[in-house]
Amino acid sequence: MYKSTGFISWLLRRISGVALVLYLFMHLWVIGAANSGVDTFNSRLDAVQTPLFKVLEVALLAAVVYHGLDGIRLLLIHYFDLTEYRKSMFWAVFILSAILTLIGGGAILLIMANGG
Amino acid sequence: MSNKDIQRTVTVSIQRFNPDVDKKPYMQDYKIKMRPGMTILDALHEIKTHQDGTVTYRRSCRHGICGSCAMHINGRNTLACKTPIINEVEKDDRVTIGPLPYLPVIKDMVVDRTSFWEQYLRVKPWLIPPDNIPELEFRMSQEEVKALHDAEACIMCGACYSSCAVIGMNKKYLGPHALLKAFLRVLDPRDTAPSERLEIVSQADGVARCHTIFNCIDACPKGLNPTQAIETLRKLAQKRQKYEEAKRERQKHLNEPIPS
Repeated sequence: MYKSTGFISWLLRRISGVALVLYLFMHLWVIGAANSGVDTFNSRLDAVQTPLFKVLEVALLAAVVYHGLDGIRLLLIHYFDLTEYRKSMFWAVFILSAILTLIGGGAILLIMANGG
Repeated sequence: MSNKDIQRTVTVSIQRFNPDVDKKPYMQDYKIKMRPGMTILDALHEIKTHQDGTVTYRRSCRHGICGSCAMHINGRNTLACKTPIINEVEKDDRVTIGPLPYLPVIKDMVVDRTSFWEQYLRVKPWLIPPDNIPELEFRMSQEEVKALHDAEACIMCGACYSSCAVIGMNKKYLGPHALLKAFLRVLDPRDTAPSERLEIVSQADGVARCHTIFNCIDACPKGLNPTQAIETLRKLAQKRQKYEEAKRERQKHLNEPIPS
């Protein structure tokens, strides 16, 4: 095993990518019920409003933010010959993702705590 | 190195594996006295000569040009002959040495590099010269030399290849070493088959398989940049006909002096 920032970024990219695909099935299961009538849709929507799913929503936010920003990082490196800055760019993406997840996740959990 | 360092005894922890006897690799510690200017390779020589003759490793030139002694030292791939031991033992007077990762171990630090050479040959690493070979020499401009990013300095040590996580999972991938060589030939003004090479590297196991993990850059003991080469090949592969035409035009003037 060869450990480096590149390896960590790749591992996080893979994990968040797989998580997003799994989320997509969940998402289709809920949204797909729109054709099956109001009651079915509402019951499925209720099923994903529990505290567990709120916490998972924070994880979803982390996955989306990291995967997206990391993709932008790789595109920048591809088009602008920035391999020299690969490590600083990884940490920038990592810290920015953490900040955005904390802000957004805090908001999600606050709304949940207030009974929203 | 101060006087104190000359007296310093350091522990060299070596991954041992003899497939005839051992079921799995194990670590073995050797204590040696550091000498001024001692490299990791010197330390291995010291152990092999004075302590344990069965320690096995490849080495040849011992000044960083043959590429034989690439190994995994303190968690990164590098050449044993150009790594001063003092830089590696700073923390706890200990250095850990193992074979290159992701490759089958033949014995101790000696790995089977068959896949490395097989992938290398796939990109046709040799020059395919034009018909109009000049009487004296091929002339290249400064810009053309610069565009190669010193890729010709590669010594084929395998440090990049065995640091690549993609190679760890998929031995069919061409690998950073082969793609760097393809890059060198594609950008060489003398080479007449850039389109053919770009077609080889744009297959499923070529440039698209690179996940930009950048381990190859970190590992290269020559400070080369295989990832940049792969990115360049990715761009050129999308316009290979146009690129080949431009190159043919350039090759008509290989005999002429470079316009200043």
